Amino acid sequence: MTRSSEAAPVRKPQSRQWRRFVRGGGVELVLLILGILFLWSVISQNIPNPSRYLPSPVSVVLSSYDVIWKGLLPNYIGQTLWRLVIGSVIGLLLGIPFGIALGLNRTVSDMFYPIMNFFQSISGIAILPIIVVWWGNSEKTVFVVILYTCFFPIAFNVLTGVRSTPMILVNALRTLGASRIRIVKDVLIPSAMPHIATGARLGIGYAWRAVIAGEMLAGRRGLGWMIFTAQDADLTAQVILGMVMIGVIWIMIDRFALRPIEADTIQRWGLVQR
Amino acid sequence: MPAKLVVDRLSHHYPDEYTGEDVHALDQVSLSVEDGEFSAVVGPSGCGKTTLLNILAGLLPHTEGSVQVDGKEVQGPGPDRGVVFQEHAILPWRTVARNIGHGLEIQGIPKSEREQKVQEFIDLVGLSGFEERYPHELSGGMKQRCALARTLCANPVVMLMDEPFAAVDAQTRITLQEELNRIAIATRKTILFITHNVDEAAFLGDRCFIFSRRPGKLKATVKIDVPREKRIWKDLLSEKAYTDPRDEILRLVREEVFDDEE
Repeated sequence: MTRSSEAAPVRKPQSRQWRRFVRGGGVELVLLILGILFLWSVISQNIPNPSRYLPSPVSVVLSSYDVIWKGLLPNYIGQTLWRLVIGSVIGLLLGIPFGIALGLNRTVSDMFYPIMNFFQSISGIAILPIIVVWWGNSEKTVFVVILYTCFFPIAFNVLTGVRSTPMILVNALRTLGASRIRIVKDVLIPSAMPHIATGARLGIGYAWRAVIAGEMLAGRRGLGWMIFTAQDADLTAQVILGMVMIGVIWIMIDRFALRPIEADTIQRWGLVQR
Repeated sequence: MPAKLVVDRLSHHYPDEYTGEDVHALDQVSLSVEDGEFSAVVGPSGCGKTTLLNILAGLLPHTEGSVQVDGKEVQGPGPDRGVVFQEHAILPWRTVARNIGHGLEIQGIPKSEREQKVQEFIDLVGLSGFEERYPHELSGGMKQRCALARTLCANPVVMLMDEPFAAVDAQTRITLQEELNRIAIATRKTILFITHNVDEAAFLGDRCFIFSRRPGKLKATVKIDVPREKRIWKDLLSEKAYTDPRDEILRLVREEVFDDEE
């Protein structure tokens, strides 16, 4: 008796993560991705010379065997991520204080607002040619482009955040006898946090595009460089592999690095509703 | 005993934000509030009540006349005058306890001493158990209790209140009015309370200052001789010592409102 009850199939309780995945539309997403891969395969099978124009998903993986297993791909990804991290960290360190400083004075911020908006609209790719003229095809050029690309959206959003702080909060602190520095620390910076987070996410997102473009024109190694050289060598599969990696890595950066920061601070304060 | 708050022939003009026309907000206002007195300022909307409060708080510079707190001329904001604003003036990123202790933090009071004081005022306004909550988790009434405790905790000489219960629902407002009365008894604070609600002004005020419409002038002063301990809504509504001055205030305010409509 005891044996049979032991042998009875125990229904495994569904894990919480699984239920969240299902409820969040995870199943549909997986089906959608499979659908896209299927469609891609079908197209690839029905065109002439697919290995040049559109290799199928399977052959992308197979023909990239070398790149993946010889450690070249991890190496390139590491190189690209390293450039992104250094560039964005410097961009944040410069952009946040700059945005706050501009936001403190109404006249100064009114003056700079259109200028910041102007530069924010000129993408890093658009300034790349002039940077190459100045510094050539060097590592410096890549960094300058990343830095430029993330600095302006970050500074611009921080400035907007500081400017949109409710006056009543500033006045409340003033009537408590707060100094200017304390108002910056206790009111303006926390109040600008949603904009700072947005700016960081936007800025780093733009920087991710810029680093790829920069590597294509001026870098050595890295994902952008890999795509560019693969195209030269007629290795379309590797070009596609590089593109897919760019998208996948960005989703992981956003999901595991940028969103948690936002959730940790802003949602707890009730500043954004989800 | 000299008055805690003295306003002497205060006038205020400012250019309208859109038209640029000169707006005459306050005209030769003189009033004083005694130590421990609860005064209410009541008048139609646009009579310069909020302008008056902003000048008293030091948020708006005054050009004509003088404002003195404890014998000192007001120049800019300072911790001697605490302000309770209409709404949304507590910091969303600070817990209830940290909001309430903010004034003491600014004054540089050490943490241990601060915590004890903060707890005292949390208990006084009835927010025990909500110390670690964030404002977005509180009801409108609780937010205003928190704002009130923050101002009280900084121990100002004069407390200025700018229609603090205007945004809460009617039921909560009645409760908050009775609570504020209880707190006024407990702390003996000198208070200037601004409202457009006649019942509220008469319920809370020892004296009511009635303002005319723009340019705001002090039109009349009405005394309400009801002991603080007796100020409970269910008893007061049939009390002549309350209803008579209340009706008088209502008449005076209505004159201003109806003048405007004709």
